[in-house]
Amino acid sequence: MAYLMVEKATKQFTPTFKALDEVSVSVEKGEFFTLLGPSGCGKTTLLRAIAGFSDLTIGNITLAGTDLRKVPPHQRDIGMVFQDYAVFPHLSVFENVAFGLKPRKVAEAERKARVEEALATVRLSALAERMPAAMSGGQQQRIGIARAMVIKPRLLLMDEPLSNLDAKLRIELREEIRDIQKQIDIAAIYVTHDQEEALAISDRICVMSGGHVEQVGSPQDIYGNPQTLFVANFVGTLNKFKNGTELSRLLRSVSLGDVAGETWTIRPERLVLADGAAESLGSGFALSGTVRKYTYLGREAHVLVETGVGDLVVHISNPGRSAGQHAGEPVSVLVPREALMGFDSAGKRIAIGG
Amino acid sequence: MSRLNFWSGVAIFTWILLALLLLLPVGTVLVSSLYDPAGDFTFGNYLTFLTETRFHRALLNTLVVGFGGLAGALLLGSIMAFCVSRFVIFGGRFVSLLAILALVSPPFIGAYSWIVLFGAGGLVRSGLREIGIQMPPIYGLGGILVVFSLKFYPYVYLMVSGALSNVNRSLEEAAEGLGLTPWQRTFRISFPMVFPALSAGGLLAFIHAIADFGTPRLLGRGYTVLATEAFTLYSAEVGSNMSMATTISVVLIVVSMLFVFLQRYMSRRNVYHGNMINKPIRIRLKGWRNVAAHVAVYLIGLLGALPVIISIIYSFRLTNGPVFQPGFGLQSYARILFNLGDVVRNSLTFSVVAVILIVLVGTIVGVYVARRTTLNTSLLDAAFMIPYVMPGIVIGIAYIAIFNTGPIVLTGTAAIIILSIFIRRLPYAVRTTASSLRQISPSMEEAAISLGYSPFQAFIRITVPLIIPGIIAGGMLSFVTAINELSSSLVLYVGSTVTMPVRIYLLILDGDFGTAAAMASILLLLSGVAVYIAFRFLGRNEQALL
Repeated sequence: MAYLMVEKATKQFTPTFKALDEVSVSVEKGEFFTLLGPSGCGKTTLLRAIAGFSDLTIGNITLAGTDLRKVPPHQRDIGMVFQDYAVFPHLSVFENVAFGLKPRKVAEAERKARVEEALATVRLSALAERMPAAMSGGQQQRIGIARAMVIKPRLLLMDEPLSNLDAKLRIELREEIRDIQKQIDIAAIYVTHDQEEALAISDRICVMSGGHVEQVGSPQDIYGNPQTLFVANFVGTLNKFKNGTELSRLLRSVSLGDVAGETWTIRPERLVLADGAAESLGSGFALSGTVRKYTYLGREAHVLVETGVGDLVVHISNPGRSAGQHAGEPVSVLVPREALMGFDSAGKRIAIGG
Repeated sequence: MSRLNFWSGVAIFTWILLALLLLLPVGTVLVSSLYDPAGDFTFGNYLTFLTETRFHRALLNTLVVGFGGLAGALLLGSIMAFCVSRFVIFGGRFVSLLAILALVSPPFIGAYSWIVLFGAGGLVRSGLREIGIQMPPIYGLGGILVVFSLKFYPYVYLMVSGALSNVNRSLEEAAEGLGLTPWQRTFRISFPMVFPALSAGGLLAFIHAIADFGTPRLLGRGYTVLATEAFTLYSAEVGSNMSMATTISVVLIVVSMLFVFLQRYMSRRNVYHGNMINKPIRIRLKGWRNVAAHVAVYLIGLLGALPVIISIIYSFRLTNGPVFQPGFGLQSYARILFNLGDVVRNSLTFSVVAVILIVLVGTIVGVYVARRTTLNTSLLDAAFMIPYVMPGIVIGIAYIAIFNTGPIVLTGTAAIIILSIFIRRLPYAVRTTASSLRQISPSMEEAAISLGYSPFQAFIRITVPLIIPGIIAGGMLSFVTAINELSSSLVLYVGSTVTMPVRIYLLILDGDFGTAAAMASILLLLSGVAVYIAFRFLGRNEQALL
């Protein structure tokens, strides 16, 4: 039995609206587990149900075998990090972090030692006696993290902790969160709508939409082997082929002509650009097209190519410094067979075999 | 379960309080206006109101002083707000202080100070007569409007300067880039942005102007308004006509209600929020424009604070009976100390007790209203609007009407004055608490709960410390209104419960301005201390005074 088990969690807000619809997930000890999805997908509702701030309508939550729904939130021993930091403005940094140790009756000396250790972990030792009000968002969130982990909770919950920070700090702090979590070896559930963040930080990701689970898996699984069109679309970028004769020709030539797919897609970085006329190659198909737009981004370039299966974006890594393609230039786009992803009318992935 | 019971208790307690102190008295006013003195049901009072020219005139005059006060306050307030927030004015903080002085001084003191200067035997008028300039005395409509404009301009000034300093400068720069002249920019960009504040401040001036009793009483000289008519009818020793007084009260409530709702509508409407990356800067004017801006600002500020300055100076003048003598001394203060100590004590006791009640009840009800959104709290919120539209004189008359006979007799007690202050100011405390609670992110308490504190402990240890500064500041500002309250106390007082504003009013009627000035100065000092404490807790936030 897993460390944290959520079974058939359902949250009914109004008679017609279910924020959660029979969601089941499990998290192992020491695992970094991320709930990923767009706003309104139910990820925060699930997190708040685990924390105890709102109860489920139906379902079970157990932590190390005990029924969490019977435990009031302040006795659950679950640390929480908030999107708006929720740092207590009337307490100093030290007092903020020590706050959770008081109800745990930790002796004075030990309390001091643990707070100092926690502050050192988040690199705030120098600011211990300061008031948090004037501190930056990054520093305030560090206080929030130290405050949640100093109580050595059984589970650490983080509700979009980085979404109010600027991009650079977000990357820096997510690495730190990841390191801290591994260092103290705690089960963590992390909520985010940022797919890159989820990929970077997680052991496993649970992609949610409309109150249900789309897919649970490792970052590599989620990105490289999405099981639904929603996941493929939400995590990373996606080219969708236009249905028609050209697509049928393409599919036939890679011997997928008799596979009944509704939507065929491919990741932009899996396409290869070649100069001149189309030519077939071993396990793929070459589409002929015309460059519409060339966007240079430094470490990569995006080329928009008009083809018989619609406009496709091709990502080129390490583009040369010399000028790239120009609009109107004829090119061919190579489509490797194994990179094609087909989905049925319900958005489920179709197996295409070797 | 126990929490549920606690809040149900709060709900029941609040409704009983409202019913007893507000709905019942006001309902009695409504009902009593529908009976003639003999006790028969009639619309006769309203018929009388509609037919007698005396009442027509009072209603018309009320609207005239209301709109006149509104216009004057708008003119002075917007000039001052524009100059202070757009130009570098030497001593800008001092100017704001002058506006606060005008705001916290009792209006009838203003009226009397203007009489001292420009009345029949006024100083300035006599001085001017000696050099051959004849000037009409200040009595009548003109005088009332001068006093109202100078007394109520701070409402407009504080609201508009707040709004002006929140207009993103990029907007004006964008307009400039599009080729608008400075005048066009002001009228087509800045003006629409501050219009809500402008109209809200102006209507606030209107509401206070029509409820004001002291100024038309002292300066009117036959210029009657609804508030003074109601008081005359109520207080006439022979032929006191309670039902007609209540009829006028109802008319006053209706007029007041109309404009309170207009004011609330305006202050909600078209409030533009923008990012404040590009804060407005103050321009340093040069030459005559600079002089003009400074003269305008200081003229308005000093004239508004003039009554206060006059009172303070006159409080130190030597007197012989009511007649001023050359020289200065502490005579007037000594008179207060030896003869009128009980009046000061009354005022302090009543205000302190009222404020303690306001803070206690207001905080609990505020938490209830903010934390539990139910039909009940929405109804409560609406019921708390009623005191906003009640002119003090109406509350006074209503309390006399209900607590004179019947199961609860409070006439002539300290309790009736305290309760009248309490109910009028309670809504402010409820709203202050509710709005400061709504500003605290719920995740603050959730964080404490996740760290192992029960919900109640989390509330006590996190939320309470965070809202206490606001509560103390709100209490201090309630104290200012409580201790300056005249119109309801004037109806409710008896010999042993005279308060400072009532005594000042009576002293002025007796012509003893020296003592009145000294007492007004003490009142001002107490108000000043309270405002200072409030600002210590809130930061300097003049808008909180509105």
